[in-house]
Amino acid sequence: MNWKQVLLVLKREYITRVRSKGFIWATILVPVGFVAFFGVMVFVTVWESDVRFEIGIKDETGAIVQPLIELNPARYLDHSALETDSLRTMVQQDAITGFIVIDEENIADDKNLELIYSGSGGMQLLTSIRSDIREVIRQERLRRAEVPQEIQNIYETSISLDSRRLTRAGEETDDDTVFLSIVGMILGIIIFAAIFSYGGYVTRGVIEEKTNRIVEVITSSVKPIELLTGKMAGVGALAITQFGIWIITFFGLTTIAGPVATMLMDQQTAGLGPEAEAAQAELPMLLDLPSLELNLIIYFVIFFILGYLLYSSLFAAIGAASDSDTDVQQLMLPIGSPIFIAYIIMFHTWQSPDSLLSVISSMVPFFSPILMVTRIAITEVPFWQISLSIILIFLTFAGTMWLSAKIYKVGILNYGSTASYKDLLRWVRQS
Amino acid sequence: MISIQVKNLSKSFGKTKAVNDVSFDVYKGRIFGLLGPNGAGKTTTIRMINHIIPQDTGEIIINGLQVGPRTQKMIGYMPEERGLYKKMKVGEQLMYLAQLKGLNKTDAKKKIVYWLRRFDAYDWHSKVVGELSKGMSQKIQFIATIVHDPDIYIFDEPFSGLDPINSELLKQIIIELRQNGKTILFSTHRMEQVEQMCDDICLFNNGKVVITGNLRKIKKDFGKNTVLIEFDGDPGFLDELDDVRINNRSTNFAEIRILNGLDHQTILKKAMDKTEINKFQLVEPSLNEIFISTVGEDNIKNKEALLS
Repeated sequence: MNWKQVLLVLKREYITRVRSKGFIWATILVPVGFVAFFGVMVFVTVWESDVRFEIGIKDETGAIVQPLIELNPARYLDHSALETDSLRTMVQQDAITGFIVIDEENIADDKNLELIYSGSGGMQLLTSIRSDIREVIRQERLRRAEVPQEIQNIYETSISLDSRRLTRAGEETDDDTVFLSIVGMILGIIIFAAIFSYGGYVTRGVIEEKTNRIVEVITSSVKPIELLTGKMAGVGALAITQFGIWIITFFGLTTIAGPVATMLMDQQTAGLGPEAEAAQAELPMLLDLPSLELNLIIYFVIFFILGYLLYSSLFAAIGAASDSDTDVQQLMLPIGSPIFIAYIIMFHTWQSPDSLLSVISSMVPFFSPILMVTRIAITEVPFWQISLSIILIFLTFAGTMWLSAKIYKVGILNYGSTASYKDLLRWVRQS
Repeated sequence: MISIQVKNLSKSFGKTKAVNDVSFDVYKGRIFGLLGPNGAGKTTTIRMINHIIPQDTGEIIINGLQVGPRTQKMIGYMPEERGLYKKMKVGEQLMYLAQLKGLNKTDAKKKIVYWLRRFDAYDWHSKVVGELSKGMSQKIQFIATIVHDPDIYIFDEPFSGLDPINSELLKQIIIELRQNGKTILFSTHRMEQVEQMCDDICLFNNGKVVITGNLRKIKKDFGKNTVLIEFDGDPGFLDELDDVRINNRSTNFAEIRILNGLDHQTILKKAMDKTEINKFQLVEPSLNEIFISTVGEDNIKNKEALLS
């Protein structure tokens, strides 16, 4: 392999791409899109549904309905005076969502309650009604049993769990598991998306050279493997540039965000009362998100690069085997699936990063670029696991590169038809 | 001196033998024509000479070196499927291609400017190739092929798809290169192009060499046994001739190849009985005729394409 040629190819790939409008726009728009995406996600989670579900309560005991209304005045209505039949009619006419009849047996014995309703509201509604009713009935039972106040208090206790991490070095730190879990998931999603988009660049680049018919001119000067290596490295350099810009921007913004916000607060609260000052005291806490460890960023970059190499070698082979952009889809399936599987497993890993499934699949080369990063973010991953997965990716990459180079060599000169899997097998054997 | 020496070259794709024990020599400073119908193995041979695909067996020696990355730089190659990067600027593209052929930046720049000026194309220097007309990008393609000033030039089906102006331009380039002592190899399935330009030829059929050598000598060896006849009147007499092959026939013209030593005077007599003769000439056979009589009419692959 002549590295001078590889470098020339790399330079062309990099420079023509980095100057393109597409790259500049993507560099600006992707972070904006990402923020918007998470904004929407937060919004959806936090947003209390505006739709009101009104549940009529026909309370024959007279003890339950008031506490229920106190619990959620917008939801529960006292319809104790109405007959069951007229409540039914109201449900049918959509005047109320549903109704519950409560009698003595529900309190004294363990008889189940029955909600008659139109079916709207879904799981969330059922769950919340169930918990409301349980709580109110328990209260009522405690009251009837004339349980002393202390014991009633015991029932109301709800101890929360704070956690602190103790490192091997004996350092005790605040536990940021929740925050880090989110970070882990975000990093996993970023790698997932990056593999697809930069891999797509490689595929399209190969197809472009085929459809432009320039490839034969190029291969009369450059070995296919040099062309392939240069192309993958060029797009890789592009990826690193783009991520570099994003990471620097991210850190830049988070560093100045705190001071700027405090400054704004200062201006607003100047001369205001003690209440505003109290609010000001809370603000830095909000901004003082746990910082990302340098380690995590380094591992992210390493696994990102390895994942890119592993997959882009295969993406290049897809390009060489296809005859046009539209033909890529059918060949994409076997290579896209492992990324998707990794993506799905990630949602499990996110919740239990140390489960057997998480540990094993984070060391499967085709999964580890996504899963290992997620695990490293969330939990303490033993160093041997990280090193082993890196070694395994390297070995697999050597294999995929070998395979891809063979397919590429034949495929780039194969005009006019998209190769079948049988063709690919033949190409690998013949070259 | 031999520029390209091909010895017992073979290449198979699966079960098809695309090139089968092919040998020929291309001499320095001459124009060599690789001829044969489509699918005869010309492009595969050319790709092996350019070290784009490896041979199965046999040897290719270029200027004394085994074919490889070093010999690639001695060759300027224009493939049959021509193309350029559509989104790249003309100047940058030529620079890239020249650098891949081993030129340094300064030399490449001088050459690019020279050739762009020469073809009245200097104004396109900063244009994106996709914006150029077909004729313009063909000119850029020529420059891309010759910019690194190699010793050997290989053109695969160079005249197919060229407009008449560029076709003429390319002929001039080829003749000029020959005058400067360069070696040119081109392939074609159009025999008449070869007759005008080539010094030496190699005829291909079904992956094998049919004849190779000096064009004049090959023709001479075949002897003056072809009759060109122009006449007015009923061409029916042509059908009465035995032991001949009529290649190029129209209402008042025919090219007749005499087989088995038939006396050409017999043809003249028969023609005079039926028609008025305007021209009667005994000539060397055309390449087409040589090809057909060597291979045998039934053994030609893609015959229609050849005769078109």
